[in-house]
Amino acid sequence: MRYLKTSEAAALLNVSPNTLRAWERRFGFPKPQRSPGKHRLFTHGEVAALRDALQEGLSISSAISRAREGLAADANSLVGALVSYDRERADSAIEAALALRSVERSVEEVLLPTLDEISRRYSVESAAWAFAAHWATDWLRRAIRLTPPPVREVSIVVGDASRDELDRDAPYIRALELFCVRAGIKVLSLSARGVAGIGDAANVHRPNLVVVAGGHLDDDTVARWAYAIRLAVGAMPLAIYRRGAERPRTRVTGTAVLPSGAGDAQRTLLDLLESDHVATTPSASAAAAGARLQLRSASRSSQ
Amino acid sequence: MLDRHSTDARPSLRLVAPAELEPVVPSVAFCSHCGSRPSTPTEHTAPGSRVCGECGLGLILEAAADIAPRAGDAFLVLDRVLSVCAVSRGAERLLSTTEPDAVNRHVTELLMPAAAEEKRGESLSVAVAWAARGDGGTRTTTVRPANTFGIRLTARIAGCGPPRAALLVLE
Repeated sequence: MRYLKTSEAAALLNVSPNTLRAWERRFGFPKPQRSPGKHRLFTHGEVAALRDALQEGLSISSAISRAREGLAADANSLVGALVSYDRERADSAIEAALALRSVERSVEEVLLPTLDEISRRYSVESAAWAFAAHWATDWLRRAIRLTPPPVREVSIVVGDASRDELDRDAPYIRALELFCVRAGIKVLSLSARGVAGIGDAANVHRPNLVVVAGGHLDDDTVARWAYAIRLAVGAMPLAIYRRGAERPRTRVTGTAVLPSGAGDAQRTLLDLLESDHVATTPSASAAAAGARLQLRSASRSSQ
Repeated sequence: MLDRHSTDARPSLRLVAPAELEPVVPSVAFCSHCGSRPSTPTEHTAPGSRVCGECGLGLILEAAADIAPRAGDAFLVLDRVLSVCAVSRGAERLLSTTEPDAVNRHVTELLMPAAAEEKRGESLSVAVAWAARGDGGTRTTTVRPANTFGIRLTARIAGCGPPRAALLVLE
C-alpha cells in the first residue's frame, strides 16, 4: 500500500493542498488516514482513480462519483465470488481492494458490506452465508496473525457473546479485534460462555478494559463472565459491542456502548483506553504509586 | 451529356463568402460550479489544471459566449441521458439542493418541463439531448422546480464541454 502526503497527492491531481482539503470537507473524498503525527495520508489508488476521473469529468462531484464507482467494483466482485463459492476469486477480490485501500478500509468498505449484502440477499440460514462467513472469519483471523506484535502497554479482553462464526455479529467482532491489534493493543478473545479458569487468563493478560461483544448470549451469562474477571483483577471499565440496541437492560451504569461499526468502535475504545481512568497500565500505576510514596516521604522529612 | 471541354461542367470548388456562413460565436471558459471565468492563472492555480482556481470546487468548461454563465448564475450541466453532472452554486440555492446530492440524478428530479403552460418553446429532453450531442445553437424552454408549482423559469440550453455535454442556464 502506497501512501501520499497532502502535498504529494495535490501535486498528482494538479491542485493546491487547500483545494484537496476543501474536497475532503465537501465530498468526503479522497478520504485520508492519519499518520501517528496526525498528518493526512492519502492512498495512492484513490488519488490515481480521481485523477483519471477528473480528466473525463464535467464537475468535481461527477468525477468523485465515478472514482467511487470504480472503487466500489471491488465489493461487487467480492459478492460475486462468495456467492459463486469461489475462494480463490474472493481472495483476489480482497487483494484488489487492498491495493487501493488500507486494511481497515478494505474491511470496512469491502468485506463487511459484502457480508451484509449476502446476509440481506440470502439470509443467514443460507449456504451462501455459511461460505461467506467462514471465508471472512478465516481471512480476518489470518490478518490478525500476520499483524506485528502490539506496541502499546494496553490490553483488552473480548468476551465473545456471539452464537458461532455464522452469527451476523461474528465478522464484526473479528474486525474489531483486528483493528485493535493493528492499533497496537494486546487482545485476548475468549468465549463469554466459559467462566472456569477465566481468572487465570485475566491474571496473565492483565486487561485494562473488558469488551462484551455479540448479542446471542443472555445478560445473566455475560454478567457471570464479567464478574469472574472482576474477581480476578479487580474493577475495570466494561464496554459492550453489538449487543443489540433494542435489548432491555436494567443496569448500564458505567458501561460504554461502542458504535456498531468496527472502525468507530475501535476509535471509541482507543479514546476510552487513553482516558485518565483507563490508560494507566499496571506497571505505570505501580510507578506512580512509588512516586507518590517518595513524594510523601520527602514531604515528611522536610517537615 | 457532359461536355468535357466546357468549363462550366467541370467539378470545381466554389469560394463561400463569409456572409453566407453562420456567425462564429467565440467560446469562453467558465467554472462548472461558481461560474467565474478564469483569466490569467493565479498563484494558487496549478498550471494545466482544469480545476477552478477561484472556488476549487468546479472544473473549467467551455461554451459559446452568448450562453456561457457568469459568476453567481444558476445553471446545470447535463449529459446526453439527462443525468445531472454539475450544479452551480446559484442553482444549489435556487433549487434547494447540493451538487453532491444532485449529481447522477435525472434532471426531472430537479426541473420539470413547463412548456405546456407557456405554449411555446421546445421539449426539455429534446433540447438537452440535441445540445449534448453537439448540435450548435441555443434553445430555449420553460421549466419549473420539480417540487414547486407556480414558478416558471426560462432555461437556455446549449452545448458545452469538454467532454461534450449540455449547459442549461436558468433565468
